[in-house]
Amino acid sequence: MEPLQQFLPQVWFFILGLFLFLYVLLDGFDLGVGILSLTTSNEERRSILMTSLGNVWDANETWLILMGGSLFGAFPLAYATILNALYLPAVVMVVGLILRSVSFEFRENADRKFIWNITFGVGSFLAALGQGFALGSVFEGIKVDAAGHFVGGIWDWLTWRSIIVALTLIQGYVLIGSTYLILKTSGELQDTHYKTATIATWTTLAGAIFITVTTPILSQQARTLLFTAPLVYIFGLIPLSGLLLVWLLLQSLKRREENTPLIWTFLLFATSFIGLGFVVFPKIIPPSITIYQAAASPSALVFMLSFIGFLIPIVLAYNIYNYVVFRGKVVGDTYGE
Amino acid sequence: MQFFSDTVALSRMQFALTAIFHMLWPVLTTGMAIYLIIIEGLWLKTRNLDYYRHARFWSKLYVLNFGIGVASGLPMAFQFGLNWAPFSESVGDFFGTVLGFESTMAFMLEASFLGIMLFGWERVPPVIHFISTILVAFGANLSTFWILSANSWLQTPAGGEFINGKFVVEDYFRAIANPFMVNSFLHMFFATLETSLFVIGGISAWYILNQRHPEFFSKSLKVVLAVAIAIAPLQVFMGHLSAEQVYHYQPAKLAAMESLWETIPVGARADWSLLAIPNDKGERNEWQIKVPAALSYLLELKPTLDQPVKGLKAWEPANRPHMIGLIYYSFRIMSGIGIFFAALMGVSVLQWLRGKLTPGAIVQQKWLMRGWIFAAPLGYLAVETGWIVRCVGRQPWIVYGKLRTVESASNLPAGEVLFSLVGLTSMYLVFFVAALFFGSRIIRKGPNLELSAPVRLGIRLAQHEPDHRPVEAQQ
Repeated sequence: MEPLQQFLPQVWFFILGLFLFLYVLLDGFDLGVGILSLTTSNEERRSILMTSLGNVWDANETWLILMGGSLFGAFPLAYATILNALYLPAVVMVVGLILRSVSFEFRENADRKFIWNITFGVGSFLAALGQGFALGSVFEGIKVDAAGHFVGGIWDWLTWRSIIVALTLIQGYVLIGSTYLILKTSGELQDTHYKTATIATWTTLAGAIFITVTTPILSQQARTLLFTAPLVYIFGLIPLSGLLLVWLLLQSLKRREENTPLIWTFLLFATSFIGLGFVVFPKIIPPSITIYQAAASPSALVFMLSFIGFLIPIVLAYNIYNYVVFRGKVVGDTYGE
Repeated sequence: MQFFSDTVALSRMQFALTAIFHMLWPVLTTGMAIYLIIIEGLWLKTRNLDYYRHARFWSKLYVLNFGIGVASGLPMAFQFGLNWAPFSESVGDFFGTVLGFESTMAFMLEASFLGIMLFGWERVPPVIHFISTILVAFGANLSTFWILSANSWLQTPAGGEFINGKFVVEDYFRAIANPFMVNSFLHMFFATLETSLFVIGGISAWYILNQRHPEFFSKSLKVVLAVAIAIAPLQVFMGHLSAEQVYHYQPAKLAAMESLWETIPVGARADWSLLAIPNDKGERNEWQIKVPAALSYLLELKPTLDQPVKGLKAWEPANRPHMIGLIYYSFRIMSGIGIFFAALMGVSVLQWLRGKLTPGAIVQQKWLMRGWIFAAPLGYLAVETGWIVRCVGRQPWIVYGKLRTVESASNLPAGEVLFSLVGLTSMYLVFFVAALFFGSRIIRKGPNLELSAPVRLGIRLAQHEPDHRPVEAQQ
């Protein structure tokens, strides 16, 4: 294989990974806050939760659209096959995201907010659930023929293991949502989320340990990959640093620090994500189709790269600027008035 | 029924439904963003608080629409893979690239600066806020550009070849700047602007008619008028240019738009059909009213033709569009609305010049105001019917002349597609009703005329530019 034909798909694998990671991180706390909002019965507190998302959720959700668009352009085969295989979870996710976004806007204008509160929370939950099953199928694999077309059944994504993966992802979102709220709120509301963050840390940890242990047991491919030098050292490091971060996170929650819990959670997500990346690479449709097979033509990859690659730093810069402008605790509801 | 077990038909239905529903929201936000720039510019220039209050008031409608727009756009981003996998694989090199550009260049820009535009009044200096508003509008309209470039490519594919069923791009710039692109983009750009202007104008007219803050809303109506003077006639002209392009590149679509079954030969007079009852199966019109020679004048500006106009029978039934009645009447509704807008515009400008739109006199203009209220929803209808002509008229092709729609659908179990179709339809129905309810609620509640200038601005005025206080404060 020519170096260019190898290099370009790798670059795009990395860029898509970055988009997906940013989406999981940023919309992760949106969804987490949404799921947490189901546990609040107090309207005033809920308003603060919603206000903490008001200025960011549009942009956060856009990372998913970015990911979808770029996957379509860079790996058309993967875009087609994965969405075919995951038709039902993808529809559940899309329905969930629509439900929550629309509820968010309707709630602002409604007198009786009850219905929209419920649909906002349920939508967030469904979106997270759909994404969880999609993640699960990465471990379970997607049945394809030699050309990379989906040949499995419509319920392939539903296994006892993918259920656990989905539940773990939901826990992870609750964790990141809680730590985001610790940063953005104060007083009683913050107290609540120190508690939810602590609980979610343990439940996420349990799920993560389960996934980490069962992956090499159940998958021959992962086993050979994980237990051969030199990768075995990297794979050894990932669970260790994960455990270290969990310990740091629990400590920071115990000490009631405000900023660090979110930072440790981010790093925890990053570690899991890197681990996942190593298991998957160079596959784009696990377990059989590689990025080289699914990639668009080199000219398409170069053309996309010359625009999108150039834009990524700019997009990141103005997204960061947006967070800087709205830094600090949530103050009142200044929505539209 | 056969329809419920036909995956292709269900997938088409789902795409049409999601596109039609999605279109309703960005159409307003894209155009309104430009209006918001003007209003904010006027506020910064005149320091008249009314303009600031206008900006805040219309943003409420903006954000309601934007939220639903983002949400309903999600199925659009995934649907190509979900329901049209063979299509995605075949043209992904180009089509996917352009959709990727749309989200990275345009949509992200709009979504990110939206936060500052809506909530940032107190948090950033006025100039940064103004720039954010401009970037929101720029992002939104850049989205229109990329989406229209992608769709135009489906109409007039260029810049490469289909080799073994896969589109291989030779020249990206030629593919992006395909023959339809410029006209189609401008036509849609004007359409979003015109739709929003007539919505804003119609709502303003409703307030004026009901004697609620007539002076305040005569300001927005005049801004709308000032912009629409240029846009409304220009849009009719753009429509004409687009139709000429269809005649040239997609004669079968033109025949469907005109419900023309028999070819009109060179040298003959081409009549324009005003109304007809097309019979798809019988390949004829049951009944019709014609305007003599009008089509010849429209196409070639003279009474007889130099080029033939092909009738639908010139193609095998498998190679031409169906649902002729839908295409025929959609086209007439769209053009009719475009002409009505231009006429309403003309009358309004006339009244303005005659001094009838001053704050005192405007409340007397009852019929004109009713005309504007009537016009408010028509822009949406024109946009939707226009897209029906464009996309139903393109059939049986998904990529015109190259790739058939039936060959492009994913081989999914029909039940699965039916499930998502029913789910999305019921959800959209609820959202549509709720959006109308909340939108009209925002309108009934009206603007907040007590709203004072942003504190941040007040501090700046006091510290650095004492002479630029709001006009009212200086007196």
